[in-house]
Amino acid sequence: MLDVIAGVLRPDSGRVVLDGETLTDAEGGIHVPLHKRRIGVVFQDLLLFPHLSVAGNLNYPRRWGRRVNSPITFDKVVDVLELTALLSRTPHSLSGGERQRVALGRALLSGPRLLVLDEPLAALDEPLKSRILTYLDRVVHEWEIPVVFVSHSQAEVRRFAAWCAVLDKGSIIAEGTPGKALGTLGALSLQDDAAPANLLRLDNVSCTQGACVGMVGKQVVRLPGLPQNASGPVYVQFPPESVLLSRDDVPNISARNHLRGTVVHLVEQGAAVFVGIDVGQIIWAEVTPGAVRDLSIAVGNPITCLIKAHSLRVLE
Amino acid sequence: MLTAIEWNALGLSLQVSLVAVAASLPFAIAVGYRLARGQSPLLWLLDTLSSLPLILPPVVTGYLLLVLFGRNGPLGAFLEQTLGVRVAFTWLGAALAAAVVGFPLMVRAIRLSFESNDRRLEVAARSLGAGRLSTFLTISLPLASRGIVAGSVLAFARGLGEFGATIMVAGNIPGQTQTIPLAIYSMAERPQGMEQTWRLVALCVLLACAAVIASRLLERRSHA
Repeated sequence: MLDVIAGVLRPDSGRVVLDGETLTDAEGGIHVPLHKRRIGVVFQDLLLFPHLSVAGNLNYPRRWGRRVNSPITFDKVVDVLELTALLSRTPHSLSGGERQRVALGRALLSGPRLLVLDEPLAALDEPLKSRILTYLDRVVHEWEIPVVFVSHSQAEVRRFAAWCAVLDKGSIIAEGTPGKALGTLGALSLQDDAAPANLLRLDNVSCTQGACVGMVGKQVVRLPGLPQNASGPVYVQFPPESVLLSRDDVPNISARNHLRGTVVHLVEQGAAVFVGIDVGQIIWAEVTPGAVRDLSIAVGNPITCLIKAHSLRVLE
Repeated sequence: MLTAIEWNALGLSLQVSLVAVAASLPFAIAVGYRLARGQSPLLWLLDTLSSLPLILPPVVTGYLLLVLFGRNGPLGAFLEQTLGVRVAFTWLGAALAAAVVGFPLMVRAIRLSFESNDRRLEVAARSLGAGRLSTFLTISLPLASRGIVAGSVLAFARGLGEFGATIMVAGNIPGQTQTIPLAIYSMAERPQGMEQTWRLVALCVLLACAAVIASRLLERRSHA
């Protein structure tokens, strides 16, 4: 699909329209060649030119008259992506995260109308992922370029995207804001081992005397700690099997987080049942069929989710 | 150290081989790229034709060249009438023979390095605004430089040693078409010639060593 947007492949059917300009129309026989599309692509394998330095890679688009009248200047890109120290190095000598930034910078310097990122974080470890996401945030904020971001990770999508389309075997099975589109897809998303099924966004986080809290709507969530200089919302991950369900509030229990919500989904999967609860955002809990029966868990019923503060993993 | 005839043979050999490599390089790159990337069903024909001089006895290659480029041959007559250039029995004939015989070696090395290029790099270049030709010149060609250098050195060395085709097309005229191998042949035929020939033989060994070392150095430089 990315290859079709970028113009690498000619599809048998379908259309690609950007800014009102038809780039591909299989039926109408239109196919704008890829070097005239002004779509910046960061390929999954990055494809930095091995025979050019970092500066040579970044300057490559300029040779073909790109970024004329573009607000994206070399100095600005180097600044935003912190590439100054890398300019004279060869791509071969860079680390994974550095390569990622150079590829992103090179795509930006082609003066794109659209950025297409193919699994930009797949090859990176966790701390690097969030750093690159921070750079992406900066890029979007600085130049307001629309971004198509392809990912297998729900956490990344929820963190970065404003709108998402979920693809399964080549067709779109859900679309909307990430919370909605991914939230309604319990069964499918829970099969995805790579993705943590639960990701909560917490607002108004604060710490007093080592006790950190954040808000989901009007409910308080206690956190095991906070990343240093956290500002703005914080995201926490936790697996569905760490969520306990109770029909009544349980006052005297060590699990500190009690989130009240309504059951919105019930999905049987093998020997387990996944229960989707709307607490302002959707939380998934994994329980046994017996528990569903004994607690008479049914769609529409109120329920309380009990989560130990220490099963929450705070994303940096 | 060397006699005038020997100096002549050395100079001529170098001139012939250099001109042969320089003139055939663009064609070798074009054919090598086609063979590596083309999709035409007729590629096997191009492949066969460009490999032929490697298999054919050089004398046969030389005979065919003489038929084409002799004064009465179709190409030879055409060149002489339009440009006033004679090929047969001049140093140009020797260069032509060296070029044709070295061509398959060049094509092979160049083709292999085009084949080992990551074609997605070309896609990336095009997505950054480079047209097809620009992509070829700035990405495909530099990335194939090792194969191009290696092929050129091989063809150069092959040209230095060319004998069979050269003697057919260019003859064995001292000072004009007598390259080192032809000079060795002429000398060795004379009585007591074997004793005089060793200097040229040593020269050949020296040139071969130099070619190998040069190719290693160039390879290392384009790799860095």
